[in-house]
Amino acid sequence: MSRDFLIIGGGVVGMAVAYGLARRGRRVSVLDEHDGSLRASRGNAGLVWVQGKGLRMPRYAELSLQSSEAWPTFAEELTARTGVELEYERRGGVDLCFDAAEAEARQEEYRALYAATPALAAMRWAYLDREALREHLPGLGEAVHGGTFSPWDGQCNPLYLLRALYAACRSLGVDYRPATPVDGVEARASGFVAHTPMGDVVAPRVILAAGLGARRLAPPLGLSGEVRPVRGQILVTERLPQGGRLPSPQIRQTASGGYLIGDVLENAGFDTGVTLETLHQLGRRAVAVYPDLARARLVRSWGALRVMTPDGSPLYEASRPCPGAYNLSCHSGITLAAFHAEELAEAIDSDRLATRYGDFSGARFDVQATG
Amino acid sequence: MSDASLRHAEVAIIGAGPAGMAAASRLAEAGQRPVVFDLAPSPGGQIYRQLTAPQVGEEVMGRDYLRGRAMLERFEHARLDYRPGSRVWWAQREGQGTTLGVLAGGRSELWQAKRLIVAGGAMERGWPFPGWQLPGVMQAGAGQILLKQGGLVPDAPPVLVGTGPLLYLLAWQYLRAGCPPRLILDAAPRSRYAALLRRPRATWHAGHYLLKGLGMLGALRRAGVTVKHGLEAIEAEGGARLEAVRYRLGGRWHRVGASLLLTHFGVVPEPQLGRGLGLAHDWHDGQQAFVPRRDAHSLAAEPGVWLAGDGAGIGGALNAEREGHLAALAILSAEGEAVAREAAPLDRARRRDRSARTLLEALFRVPEGWLAAQPETTLVCRCEAVSLGEINAAMAQGAAGPGQLKAFTRCGMGPCQGRLCGESVTRLLAGHLGTTPAAVGTYQVRPPLQSITLGELAAAAVPPEAERP
Amino acid sequence: MFKRLDNAALAGEVTIWLEDQPRRVPATLSAAAAVLWLDGGAGYRDHAAGGRRAPLCMMGVCHECLITVDGEPNRQGCLVPVAEGMRLERQRRSP
Repeated sequence: MSRDFLIIGGGVVGMAVAYGLARRGRRVSVLDEHDGSLRASRGNAGLVWVQGKGLRMPRYAELSLQSSEAWPTFAEELTARTGVELEYERRGGVDLCFDAAEAEARQEEYRALYAATPALAAMRWAYLDREALREHLPGLGEAVHGGTFSPWDGQCNPLYLLRALYAACRSLGVDYRPATPVDGVEARASGFVAHTPMGDVVAPRVILAAGLGARRLAPPLGLSGEVRPVRGQILVTERLPQGGRLPSPQIRQTASGGYLIGDVLENAGFDTGVTLETLHQLGRRAVAVYPDLARARLVRSWGALRVMTPDGSPLYEASRPCPGAYNLSCHSGITLAAFHAEELAEAIDSDRLATRYGDFSGARFDVQATG
Repeated sequence: MSDASLRHAEVAIIGAGPAGMAAASRLAEAGQRPVVFDLAPSPGGQIYRQLTAPQVGEEVMGRDYLRGRAMLERFEHARLDYRPGSRVWWAQREGQGTTLGVLAGGRSELWQAKRLIVAGGAMERGWPFPGWQLPGVMQAGAGQILLKQGGLVPDAPPVLVGTGPLLYLLAWQYLRAGCPPRLILDAAPRSRYAALLRRPRATWHAGHYLLKGLGMLGALRRAGVTVKHGLEAIEAEGGARLEAVRYRLGGRWHRVGASLLLTHFGVVPEPQLGRGLGLAHDWHDGQQAFVPRRDAHSLAAEPGVWLAGDGAGIGGALNAEREGHLAALAILSAEGEAVAREAAPLDRARRRDRSARTLLEALFRVPEGWLAAQPETTLVCRCEAVSLGEINAAMAQGAAGPGQLKAFTRCGMGPCQGRLCGESVTRLLAGHLGTTPAAVGTYQVRPPLQSITLGELAAAAVPPEAERP
Repeated sequence: MFKRLDNAALAGEVTIWLEDQPRRVPATLSAAAAVLWLDGGAGYRDHAAGGRRAPLCMMGVCHECLITVDGEPNRQGCLVPVAEGMRLERQRRSP
């Protein structure tokens, strides 16, 4: 066989792992769906975010912290390799709270989480009231009660990240095939075969990084594929002068000047449309957070489906019945990109995924079901 | 949320050009009271702009412009609800009806339209070439709008470039106004006119258009205006603004000083409304544009939505008027009225016109190969200043569709929302991937269909879910 | 760049303010048309990426006619009819 790995899915997870494997000298093919398919990687807000991750799974919080620390080097290397600027910065971030109850609940959650393991003692965060926040978020509106600040939070341009990964993979000889949807993957004696309208593609090992496609592709390979769509909607404004504000999940200003407004979680099945009610709510919240944005023009909006596991933490699994098949599902593919491109790729390559990241396998859902 | 901010319309019409006006007037005469949303501050669309108080007479404009006065008068006297300065920023199908978010006077209202006629019209094709973003380069339609709006003409002889009837019409109007163009560069090769000999029937149907065109060309030639055919390439040169135009004919480059370059590379349907509503589209090879799909007879795109005029496929002003009329009849027919006799001659005229149109499409077909051959510094996306070189690089890096290309380069993310660059992106991808525009498709269009401020959005009328059908 | 035909209809005129300068313009013009007529050679606005731009289409498509009207930024000048006392400020990059 002419390849070592077949990766199903050319989003930020698949391409980061492809990049990692290719850097280790592996021959990788990536099969990607169409331009108009569900493309979670084009739908997110671009936060490289630590705080609040893994509230139900400290190990995930550790992973986020670890990946955040690896991000600067990861970004530099990608840019050096491809010339694509990622607009990455880590100046800190603030998750906003709009009333006292929310502020209290947030602080309790964080206190509990960041005391949970020794590794998490490295996490730094602080609750700041509105006045104190104004230093980080000039022009903050009265509607904001306060927020949790962490210096480990940052942001990037997620689209340029994907572009850089594409360019890096190309330069490393990754065989990337767009418009090649996979009908199914079969385990055979010698490895795996992916059935596509363009013909069969075979490989000794296969990695599913297919977003919501895991629901269909994972179970036949003995993988859980337990993900469901959770829709987010995002507004984007015209370019505005830089306001020097730290990013928030609710609203952040990109390097090119537009504000991204979002942080909505909806059950809308597989509908990637936007709704009037939500756009309206997002508009109201944006103006409540930064009143000077009342004059800002909304130029774009979109809906996108997060790839959400039952507990929100990543799913990294190695198949037991079909050794050599792996499934990777997460909704934080941006933050975890550095981890995916390095440690995760290494773990898969050396077939240590189950031993090192067993906490993240699908078995944890079975435990929850029976427990 | 107050009930007053949720408005109901039995029939809503978007656009007040010939198609919108004809539909609205006919429905009003049938006793209905259509609501007409117009982006412009006064009716007439582009073709009959300013016609309620014309600034320039027939001696400059010719007869076709002033013909619209009867239409305008009929519209202005009709019992309907005309809403100028209306930005339809939200349009969503709900069953057979459509919900519209309309911003006017700084306030966004929510409208439930039981029936909708989309008559949003056409736009000039965005056609990139080096320097097209320089002040001093405008589209021919813009020149005509300035002429109509205020009798404004170039203060120095302009250069006109491109292909299509509007180019010659504008040149002729400028001539009659005493400011003939310096030079007309036609991108159609002279041999193109041999098409006339191969299609006698279509030529016969197009006779009226052709004679007019020949008349204009004759007048221009007699006045000494230089007209050159077979233009191969064009470049606008200048620092802060246009200073000279370079052009290539027969393989040789020439240069002429100019402070105003007016270009015209055809008109195409304005895409935002059709795409925003999620209507199906097809690539029309003759028109070289995506055209929304609709029933050939009833003009319905979907139950409850009719498409009329150039926004549904380029057919010209008279055709737009007929289609607006037919869309109104289709609605009346759906309500049980007998309209067959009234519709029949309109249908016949449409068919004849269609035949003529195919000839015009062949005569004035845009030079498809130009775009990929432009220098790499040419801006494809003006709003975000994305060059052809960047697009080529992104395609080489694996961007295999308009969405991915947009994500990788920001092309299409600016204020014009991809109106000007969408077609270019489709063409470039088709060329790169060795496929067709139909297979490539175009950007996904999401609200806002027209920009709206966050403050206006925050104050927009949004009834609770429960109240909506 | 543009001049008015001598035999154009005698439309009324209004006074608008272009960067704090009062100017008389035909009342039938859009704000964008008025700016082009008054000062067509200067380049209508600065573009974020550098260079000057001017309206391309005059009909609401190209968005090159963005201008501040009565304090409201980024209005499409070609869709706004001039009115008595209207204040227009062109978009300029800060030095």
